[in-house]
Amino acid sequence: MSSKTAKPIVRSAAWRISLWATLAFACATMVVFILLHRFVADDIQRRSDAWLSGEVEVLGDVAERTPKDALYGRVVGEVAELAGKEVPNREPGSSNSNDSVFFLQTGSDGTMRLWVGAGDGHPNLKAIQAAHVLPERPTDLAVSGFSIPFRVAAIRVDDGSLIYLGLSERDELRVLRSLRLRFLLWWLLIVFFGFGIVFLTTRRMLGHVRRITEAAAGIGHSDLTARVPTTARRDEVAQLALTLNHMLDRIESSMHQLHTITDALAHDLRSPLTAIRGKLEMSLSAASERGPAESVVSAIEELDRLSDFLNKSLDVAEAKADALRLDRSSVDLDELLRAMIDLYGPSMSEKGVEIRIRSNGPLFIEADAALLHRMVANLFDNELKHLSSAGVVAIKLDFREGFAFLGFDDDGLGFETEVLAHLFERRIKGRESSGHGLGLAFVDAVARAHGGSISACNRAEGGARIEIILPGLSS
Amino acid sequence: MRLLLVEDEIDIQSFLRASLTEAGYEVEAAADGRSAEALAMSGQFDILIVDLGLPDQDGISLILRLRRLGVGAPVLILSARRSVDDRVRGLEQGGDDYLTKPFALAELLARLRNLLKRNSPPAQEATKLRVLDLELDLLRREAARSGQQLQLTPQEFVLLEYLCRNAGRVVTRSMILEQVWGMRIQPDTNVVDVHIYRLRGKVDGEGQRPLIRTLRGVGYVLKDC
Repeated sequence: MSSKTAKPIVRSAAWRISLWATLAFACATMVVFILLHRFVADDIQRRSDAWLSGEVEVLGDVAERTPKDALYGRVVGEVAELAGKEVPNREPGSSNSNDSVFFLQTGSDGTMRLWVGAGDGHPNLKAIQAAHVLPERPTDLAVSGFSIPFRVAAIRVDDGSLIYLGLSERDELRVLRSLRLRFLLWWLLIVFFGFGIVFLTTRRMLGHVRRITEAAAGIGHSDLTARVPTTARRDEVAQLALTLNHMLDRIESSMHQLHTITDALAHDLRSPLTAIRGKLEMSLSAASERGPAESVVSAIEELDRLSDFLNKSLDVAEAKADALRLDRSSVDLDELLRAMIDLYGPSMSEKGVEIRIRSNGPLFIEADAALLHRMVANLFDNELKHLSSAGVVAIKLDFREGFAFLGFDDDGLGFETEVLAHLFERRIKGRESSGHGLGLAFVDAVARAHGGSISACNRAEGGARIEIILPGLSS
Repeated sequence: MRLLLVEDEIDIQSFLRASLTEAGYEVEAAADGRSAEALAMSGQFDILIVDLGLPDQDGISLILRLRRLGVGAPVLILSARRSVDDRVRGLEQGGDDYLTKPFALAELLARLRNLLKRNSPPAQEATKLRVLDLELDLLRREAARSGQQLQLTPQEFVLLEYLCRNAGRVVTRSMILEQVWGMRIQPDTNVVDVHIYRLRGKVDGEGQRPLIRTLRGVGYVLKDC
């Protein structure tokens, strides 16, 4: 494909669109997840708090009713152990629940009366005393020796002792961790897939746009038969292609109309001109036996001027509408200019005008040689008509950055300032000019038909400067 | 030389018929494609002149049809259009020629001669041209008048050669521009005239009979007068 596709993919619009879309999607889902996470965490906490409060109340009840005899410890201990087996959010299959729940009863003096749980309970007691755990209100409790904090609820029994029930937050945290892990995995998967899908879709879509752009760029000034590619789908891009093609249809049809009109006009004017010229020529040859017929001669000359004017007008009209038909071939500008100088040289020197050329040798461009000949002839005719004797025309030809620069400098009076701004329009000419004001309009039209441009100014040191820029060989 | 003229404009047809007859052609004329085809099939023609804008069909289609029907004679296409259609270019490459209206009679005759010459076997190319006491050595690129060497620039020699090759026949400015300089341009200044004046200054010296004559309104002719 063309060189345009060779540019790095990260600079394509598809890449940017999918990057931003994915980023927005990822952020939004992350925010939603954070809210959800907080809600789930709160809910789990509320549930374990409810369990703790309920169990601690049951235990308090049991402790109150159980006689304080030798069996007291065993009865309360068993009830506590039983409660530990119904821990909420418990990981199924974990055998040992002893380390996730503890039961602690302290006397009114704060000493340990009963302990059910992992270890000897002293660190737990120390932590409870340090944290001032209050009854009825479950609190978080970090116990030395355990990496995961406990949630502890307390209740005061009639005899002044306190019962504490602790539930490790391990299961709660495990549930949340697994939730986060799963979310992260799914999130990454969705984000990557989403990015891929968005990227591929937009690239495909923009690929259509790029193909349309390439096709549109390929439709030249004079070749309007080509169309941009269309797809069967009816989306915006297809609509764009269709609209472009409709536009091209309209342009082509108006161009065609213009051709038809100019052709008809040309035909309608040229046929009588041909007939008149032929008859005049015949009467001229008949008259020549009796000596030249001055009126016939001047009639023929007038007629030739008229048809020249007609030709130029039609050419300029077509060129202004970008409808000049080009017959391109490889043309050596240097050779073309030298041939022109060869042709115009004697007329120039007859008038006392010197003509110089500065060129770096052969310079080939893809152009219509016949049009270039006429373009340069127009410029030379202008110099011949407007330059006074002892003038100098300096032609400069060089090639820079893929363009041929063709400069015409003279040391005449320069352009009249009011003319300068409209120099390349039709019927614009200086007050002293005897031409029909089509010459430079034609030069401009030819330059533009070749994808070039023309500019004119008055030189600071006096005289006029015209510069024509033509694109060089594309290869 | 039998010539078939296909032109719908009666005025143009009549003056062309008269001029061509005067130039020695045996002219048959048709005003539309159908009668042109009938005429072309009924008789042998050496050359055809076809106008592109015919009332019943396009001139190009007519030429292509005649070619398919076995008419091999060269065609001079007359076109009222200035910019030349690609199809005309195609025919031009096939050995035919075109001329845009309005044209000078001299140019029409010159193009007819060229077309006929192209189709006839090439004659032995002469190395010397002689018109009265003017002699051109085509190999050494030298010219002499009455044995006196002329100091000509290469361009002047080409111009003189062209005039000599057409000695006795009128050449127009645009013919000179096309044949000598290879350009189809119409300058609105007297560039060709200046070249001719200079050449005349060298060829027709004082005391010599002038050879290069100006025919006002038409062009130039090299001949004894």
